[in-house]
This record gives sequence, C-alpha cells and structure tokens, in this order.
Amino acid sequence: MNVQLTRVATLLALAVGAATATAQDKITALRGARILPGGAPAIDNGVLLIAQGRIQAVGGASTPIPEGTVVIDVTGKTITPGLIDANWRFGTGSLDRNEQGDEVTPHLRVLDTLDPADRQFERTRAAGVTTVHVMAGTQNVIGGLGAVLKTAGQDVDAMVLGSETSLRVTMGSEPSMGNRAIRGGSVESIYYRRPTTRMGVVWEVRKAFYDAKEAMNQTLNDPQQQDPGLQVLMRVLKKELAVVTTARSEQDIRTALRLAAEFGYTTVIDEAQEAHYVIDELAAAKVWVLVGAPSADRVTGGGGGDGAEPRFSTLTKLAAANVPFVITTGTNQAALDLVREAMFAVRNGIDPQLALDSITVRPAQLLGLGDRIGSLAAGKDADFVVWTADPFDPTAVAAQVWCNGLTVSESR
Amino acid sequence: MRPMIPAAAAALLSLAPWLTPLCAQDLLVTAATVVIARDTVLSPGEFLVRGGKIAFVGNEIPADARSRAKVVDFPGATIVPGFVLAHTWLGQDADLVERAAPFTPDLQTAEAFDPFGEELLKLPAHAVTAAALAPSSRNVASGIAALVKPGKEQGSLAADSLYVMLSLAAPSRDPERPPTSLMGAVDLLRSQFNLARGTAQSSRELTILRQVLAGSRRCAIHADTWAELDAALDLATEFAFEPVLVGAAEAGRLLPRLQAQKAKVILGTLSPDARLQQLRLPGELERAGIPVAFASSRPATLRLTAALAVRNGMSRPAALAALTRTPAQLIDQGDRVGSLRAGCDADFAVFGGDPLDLTAALRAVYVDGQRLFGTTATTSSKP
Repeated sequence: MNVQLTRVATLLALAVGAATATAQDKITALRGARILPGGAPAIDNGVLLIAQGRIQAVGGASTPIPEGTVVIDVTGKTITPGLIDANWRFGTGSLDRNEQGDEVTPHLRVLDTLDPADRQFERTRAAGVTTVHVMAGTQNVIGGLGAVLKTAGQDVDAMVLGSETSLRVTMGSEPSMGNRAIRGGSVESIYYRRPTTRMGVVWEVRKAFYDAKEAMNQTLNDPQQQDPGLQVLMRVLKKELAVVTTARSEQDIRTALRLAAEFGYTTVIDEAQEAHYVIDELAAAKVWVLVGAPSADRVTGGGGGDGAEPRFSTLTKLAAANVPFVITTGTNQAALDLVREAMFAVRNGIDPQLALDSITVRPAQLLGLGDRIGSLAAGKDADFVVWTADPFDPTAVAAQVWCNGLTVSESR
Repeated sequence: MRPMIPAAAAALLSLAPWLTPLCAQDLLVTAATVVIARDTVLSPGEFLVRGGKIAFVGNEIPADARSRAKVVDFPGATIVPGFVLAHTWLGQDADLVERAAPFTPDLQTAEAFDPFGEELLKLPAHAVTAAALAPSSRNVASGIAALVKPGKEQGSLAADSLYVMLSLAAPSRDPERPPTSLMGAVDLLRSQFNLARGTAQSSRELTILRQVLAGSRRCAIHADTWAELDAALDLATEFAFEPVLVGAAEAGRLLPRLQAQKAKVILGTLSPDARLQQLRLPGELERAGIPVAFASSRPATLRLTAALAVRNGMSRPAALAALTRTPAQLIDQGDRVGSLRAGCDADFAVFGGDPLDLTAALRAVYVDGQRLFGTTATTSSKP
C-alpha cells in the first residue's frame, strides 16, 4: 500500500544541524502540553526533548529531563508534528511554473523558480506548515518535476528535501485552455496545437510515454545525448519516479487510472474532488489520493474546478474503503490554512486522529520522508507546532512553529 | 536612412589620419589632478598623447617630447579616464534581438552598430568614451556584444567580439514563443550547454557556448530576481564559468555565493528615490569583494549613480572605478580603455573638480586624443 514518491535527497539538507549549531546545541524541553505525536495516541502532560535540530525523546510527565536543559513551559497547549502540505497552493510566479512552449515538458524543474524569501513561505510557516511539496503548474499535459522543501532554512539548499520528487501530469480541460484549433490561414502562434479536447490531452500523454517506451528499447552510443524529457519519462516507466496526476472530475480520475495501468507507471491522483464516484476503482488500483481543499470548495461556495462537484462525504467514503488519502491546499485559490481544511474533514465525519495523520504522517510517507518528518519520535527532525488549543478547535492558532529545532514563527 | 558613403568620399576618409592635426603633433595634457587608474592619482598631473594613445605619464615623459608637444592645460581641473559602459543598447534595442528564435548566441551586435546613432554621438556629453553595445535581453541567448566609441561625425567599432549575452530576466520569457517561463528559460540554457559539452552535435551556436566552457569567452547573464540570479549561478557552477551578472537587483541576498563563484556585477543606474536596498547594494558588493560596474542606457545618470552609491556606503575610489576601470576589465578591454596608463587609448574626461561632486562641471571629453566635447581652457605651444 505504501507507494512512495521517489526522493532525491540532498546531502546539504542533512547539514542543516551543523550550520546553525550554536542555536541548536543546547537541549530544549517543552513540558506540560498535550502531545499529538502523529500516527500514535495522544500524550497528556507530555515532554518533548529536542537537541541538534532533532527530537531526542517524546513521552509523558515522567520523561527524564537532563540537567542544564532549557525548559519551556507549554502547559495547556497542544503540540503536533509540523504540518506537511503535499500539494502546496503557491501563487507567486505561477506563470513561471507553466512552460507553454510545449505541452510536454517533463524535465523542467520547479525548483529553478522558487525564491525561499517569498512571503508565502512566511505565511505558510505561520499556519503551522513546515514542509511543502511544490509542483509544476497545471497548464501543461506533462508539466515538470516537483520539489519538496521545508518552509524555513537559512538558504534554499538547506530547505530542499527533494529536488525531483514527482512528475505532474494534468487531465481535464486546463491543458487545453488557450490552445486553438487550426482552421486554415497562416499558423504563427505556438498555441495552434493539440490538445484542444480531453481526447487530445490523453493523446499527448499516450504519445509521450509511447515515445519513452520506444526510446528504452534503443541503444544509444552516448546516453547523455538522450532527450532530457525522455529520460524523465523513462525513469517513470522504470518506477523510479512517481507521477502525480491532477484529475478532478470522475471522468478524469478514471482516465488517469487507465493511463497509469496502460503504461504500468505509479501515479497518485491529485485534486480528486469527485473521488466519491470512483471509490471502487481507486481502491482496486491501490493509489494514493490527494484531496485539495475539500472543504473550502463548499464553505466558500467556490465549487469544484473543471466542472467537478466536491462533496463533504468524499473523505469519509475514501476512509471507509481504506483508500489512503492526504489533505492538501491544492490549486484552490480559496483554500483555507491546511489545519482548517483538516478541521472541516473532522466536522464531516473523519476521525480527528486520521485527519491529523492526513496532514502529517501520511504526506511524509507519500513523499518518501517518513523517516525524517511527519511524526514526533526520537531521531526525527524537530519540526513541530505548539497550538494554543486543540488544532481542530476553530480558535486554535500556532503559538510557536519549530523547524529543524529552531523557532521559525511565533504568534503574539 | 543613413547617408551611404560614396566611393570618392570613402577614399578621402581613408586619408583622414593625414588630415588630423593630432597626429602631426603630440599633446601634453596637464591638470591639477589626473586619475591614471584607481591607485595612481597624480596631482598635479600630466600625460602625453601621441597618435590617439597615451604615450607617457607624469615624470616618464621625455624632455624632447615634452618640448615639441602642444600643451593643453586645464588649471584646477580633475582628469579621469573616460567612462566605460559595460552594457548598453544605445537606443537600438529593437534592432539588437532576433525575435524569431529564443537562442541566437552567435549573432553579433557589431552587425547592427550604427556609427551615426544619435545616442552614440551624445555619449561624450556625459563623459562616456566607450560602450559595450549589448544584445537585447529579450532572447534567452541573444548574441555577442561589441565595443563601440563615439566620434566627431561618426562613431567607430573598437572591438567586434566581446561577451556572449544570456538572459533569464523577465523580458526573455514571452507568452507567444517558447520559453514562456523561467523554468523553460533555465532548461533551454542547461540543455544547450549540455549539448555544447558533448561532441555529438556541431553548430555555430554551440561553438559560442564551447568558447564559454573553454574559458575563452566571457558570459554575461541578465538576471534580476533571487530566483533568476540563483538559476544563473547554478548554471555557472554546473558548467564551470565565472559569470558577469547584469541587472542583479537582488544580488544583496546572494553575496556569499557571488563571492565563491567569482561573479562580477553590472548594476543599473540609481535615482535618489530608489529603495534603500538598491542604494546600498553597490557598497555591499564592494565590501564583499565583488567587482561592480554601473551601466545604463541613460548615461546622464551615471555620475548621480556613483554619488548615490558613495552616499550609501561605497568608497569613492570604487565608485569612480565602477564607471571606468571595472567595466573595462569586465569586458576584457582593461589594457585599452578605463585607465590612462601608457599604451591605453587617449580617452579622458576633464571635470572642474571631483567627478563624484555633482557641482563639478564637465569641461571637456577626448576620445582617441580627439576632443569631442567642451573647450580647452588654455592652449599654448612651447617653442
């Protein structure tokens, strides 16, 4: 069941602790809070011990605190792991994450466009999110390589956990938008091209992977001269890299599953707003499902993208069928903070533990980073949030956000 | 339309050196202060101009040459090397990019150079004596810059093959042709450099990139935002070249990287209402040991820019060098322009005082020993 996205970890990311050693050297204990460790039962009046940017121990009131430890009293507060947004809604410079020169641009890297000082990182940190997955835009059939970053760090190298984590494929009408059909006359614009229909979208995906399959059977004198886009698609076919297929409506979700089965690649279904219509197929295909801002769609009256009808029951149906899902902010411009999206899931029948897991442990597992982030346990990165109340209480705010053992955001 | 030069006139022009009095007689230029180069300032100072070049400086001037020369004296004045622009379009930017394709590194601005250009001939009025005519930033790789100089009736082409100009800045992305995005622009350069590194393909375009890889041609990259600058530095690391960054508005956020990669920076001009971050950047770069030059297509603001940079933390010598020596070195023409050492072109500007003091008037400007602007205060011929 644990289909993990391939991770290209950077050694630099591991060096974070060393670079800021002075601030992180001392042992710090947070005492008195209710700890929701993620993937495990709650601990009342708990103790969280951190040093060197990592968690040293998590336990009840009796957990021994070494001498010389800086003790922070957080009685009455709630601590959760730093939240993980597996499809971060990142508006800044979105034009730069959609290369319209071609519909199929598998090798383009989203990481080349990110500014770590962008204000959205700051806002996201303040909302308790410590790790995000940023993908190429949705205007291409095959958009490019997504990256995973922490939302805080002294420079971008320190923030990057994965530079080529996923390949985005988009179903539905978005890639067709702006393209025009050729009806005689001179054709000068690059937008006179396929696809202009859903059929055309599928044709582009099929052609790309067909070409990649053909290329795999050829022997080249110099593999370095292979088209870089084909190289990425070949990694997908060899299951070294997972696809994230954005598919909102029932029809698009079915198409996404069919294409993955046809070429034998691993896909995650993203923005699956009509997953409630295709529960059986999703369960049978054993895919992970990302649900983008499921509640905001209804609460703000925005409605689903691409004609899809989001329902409050989507998540409960996925849960009942044991389809692993992750809650994200997605591409929805009306998305609330990630924790609020999970709160609405609770209101609509999801168990609070499961709701929290779907923004912590589960996305960590999906991104192939379960050994480092997503839960509070000895040895993991010291990424956590001190909430003023239970995180699913609508009045709760992130009083402190810690990332790599440092406070990166504090509410006043 | 520019007048085409008829054959007869061309023949006359070829005789021009015989007609110029400058060649007939050396010039002995004297002033209260002469800035030869950043670390060599003579006061009082003098130098001898022969055949359009600086022949001797200060006490190296031989007595017999001194006695035969025509003396041009600027009492109380400060003479500095003529300003050098390491990057400018001279109002010709529409003609400096081949829009049909985004990757044209082998095009040469020398071919587009207009020796009668209005902006070119106005340069001496702003103390500018040499300029690198750069290709526009509207292509990802737009071509090769040329060194041009203003002249009396027409300018001249001083060097036809300087750096290759690349661009990751916003104008290089165009929604009507690929690349439309920064992601695409970075990829285009990365894949072309990769092709250049391999041996499977050959083309004029790749030849230029191979010169960059071999270190025999400089590479200037227009990049403004952090993401653009970071991508430019990534490319420079990946393909092992020392980049010249043009624009570089957010360079202040990447100082350690710029230092480590031996980057050099060409900044645009400043105005008093610029953001503090911009005003402080030249000084920050100087303190980090990163060479800085000022350039603009509006040369009237160059002195103001240097003065504002000094007001916000840049040292005076570095600010003056940013208009003279540094840009000359950035375009590998340091032995020819940007200083007044023996052997350099006799390109200089005469100011009533310190050129960074905006109350000091520009009195005269010489290019190749020929006065293109202003008047001589005192001229006498020693017997």
